Amino acid sequence: MLMTRKKPVQWTRLDNAAKIFPPNTNEKDTKVFRFVCELKEEVDREILQEAVNKTIILFPVYRSVLRKGVFWYYFESTELMPEVVEEYKPPCSMLYHPNRRNLLFEVTYYRKRINLEMYHALADGTGALGFFKTLLYFYITSKYKEDFKEQLPNLDYDASFAQKMDDSFLKHYTGEKCLNKVKVTRAYRIAGRRSIDNRLKVLEGVMDVKEILALAHRYNTTLTVYLTALFMKAIYQEMPARAKKYPVVLSVPVNLRIYFPSVTARNFFGTINISYDFTKNKDDLDSIIKGVKEEFARELTEEKLRKHMNRLSALEHNAFMRIVPLFIKDWVLRFANRINDKGITATLSNIGKITVAKELAPYITLFNCFNSARRPQIGMCSFGDRLVISFASPFDGTDIQKNFFRMLSQEGVAITITSSSREVG
Amino acid sequence: MQYCDHCKVQINGAHLVCPLCGGIIEQKESAKEEEVFPQIPTIYQEFNVFIRVLLFISIAVTVISFAVNMIFTKESRWSILVAAGILCMWISLFFIIRKRNNIPKTIVWQVGLLGVLSVLWDASMGWIGWSIDYVIPSICVGAMIVMAVAAKILKIGVRDLIIYFLVDGIFGFIPIIFILFGWLNVIFPSVICVAVSAISLSALMIFEGDSMKTELNKRMHI
Repeated sequence: MLMTRKKPVQWTRLDNAAKIFPPNTNEKDTKVFRFVCELKEEVDREILQEAVNKTIILFPVYRSVLRKGVFWYYFESTELMPEVVEEYKPPCSMLYHPNRRNLLFEVTYYRKRINLEMYHALADGTGALGFFKTLLYFYITSKYKEDFKEQLPNLDYDASFAQKMDDSFLKHYTGEKCLNKVKVTRAYRIAGRRSIDNRLKVLEGVMDVKEILALAHRYNTTLTVYLTALFMKAIYQEMPARAKKYPVVLSVPVNLRIYFPSVTARNFFGTINISYDFTKNKDDLDSIIKGVKEEFARELTEEKLRKHMNRLSALEHNAFMRIVPLFIKDWVLRFANRINDKGITATLSNIGKITVAKELAPYITLFNCFNSARRPQIGMCSFGDRLVISFASPFDGTDIQKNFFRMLSQEGVAITITSSSREVG
Repeated sequence: MQYCDHCKVQINGAHLVCPLCGGIIEQKESAKEEEVFPQIPTIYQEFNVFIRVLLFISIAVTVISFAVNMIFTKESRWSILVAAGILCMWISLFFIIRKRNNIPKTIVWQVGLLGVLSVLWDASMGWIGWSIDYVIPSICVGAMIVMAVAAKILKIGVRDLIIYFLVDGIFGFIPIIFILFGWLNVIFPSVICVAVSAISLSALMIFEGDSMKTELNKRMHI
């Protein structure tokens, strides 16, 4: 029994948002998201590996494996090191396999692109972006050493180890009682045919952010509202007549760090639902924009977000929920997820404007992000003048994507389309 | 870069049809541009051939034994035993496959499972007592030996093993109940089992007490 002693093992609980992910992870919905950075030149594997090695030291929280306890899942620190490889599998493939101990993120590259894939239980978009930007900082400053002889640029992510590890849900949980029950109304659900291996098909459109902003301003609204409305209209155009009685509901993740102080590298997001009922309202873009705008104004308030956050945290702190064995919790969370899912048509996540130190910007062409999806889903972010809107979809059909991008191109926006899947030929 | 006239968009990469609308796009010489995504062939997931063959043999054997039973030996019902045996094998195999990534866990699950199954067999065949006389004590001790050997060979760390060793050690105390209630015909396997469990559990507490405490805290946190 006496064997070599290892370092004492560190373990952490999953944060509130992360708890829903492990029981609901499967081949069809891997709960993995990807950040892409396209550089001006081809990626050098060795230098990227060195950069990863340096970055992981600053983010020890990501060097962990997910394990099952008797009552809860937990992260356990590990000695595993991330290994950089050339992209070898479809986007957002499984990262977490029950009973297997592997890292929950992966850095791959292909030609000019660096990809960071991360399991959602570990971090949300903003958390992972901190890691990604640090990685790019080390990569670029090492690959182009000559250019940075005089002075190294600043690394703009400033957080202590403890701050990065922080469970911000716990920190901002007030324990206030929220008794208002949320009723899930059935939303229209997009159906389609999947491929044999359930792979995600990604269609990205690159455009000039200024053109889109100008369009949004012409409708007297913001970029997010405009594109949300456009997505709704694109979905509406494909709705079968029988399904038109259901509202279209878009789930929009919100970065809670904006509303509640936190710089955590883990999850800290909530979601709001933007709903539009085409039976009660008109289907022209102006009306949809008006409806969406009102929904955003109603849902996106600190008060509502705090209530929602507290309600979810209260479940976790509930004495009965805590002593229920994990396998029963798994069933409950799968059931809850299914119910919640019935009320959602699609998801739109806007990472927003990504900034890097101005000395690093000349080496980067664009940033891109998308998430594993059970239904067509939009992920978007902008860098400099480039806005990238990515559709991730498990379905073969591309009609919603076509409607969406055609509406933009008809307005005169120049779009470049890139697809992850290619017809055989 | 290629261009789709219908969608009015530029298209990156060498496509034959527009990835949005599926319409034909004009081929240009310069279309042999750089790929942005690698082309990954379809991944086909298939059941292991071994599992399929085993499943087929199981079904065939069960059906044949029922048929033979009905034709030649109407008075006895031995084919039910065959079917039950095959069913038990599959239950055991199911857990082995499911937990295969964690060897100590697989072993402990098998100890529990085989213990229960052996008692069920013993009871359903007119209680003789072989399950608690021999099977349960010997699998508890056997599992401890297998775990210790496997840990050495496969280099499984102390902290990954400790809980399973503890659970098996606690299982090893169950035969005390059999001894106290005088259910046993043969006492020596149970005595050995309890003695071995007591010695290994005390060794575990004395030498690995701290690791055990952290490990328990970690796994049992509520």
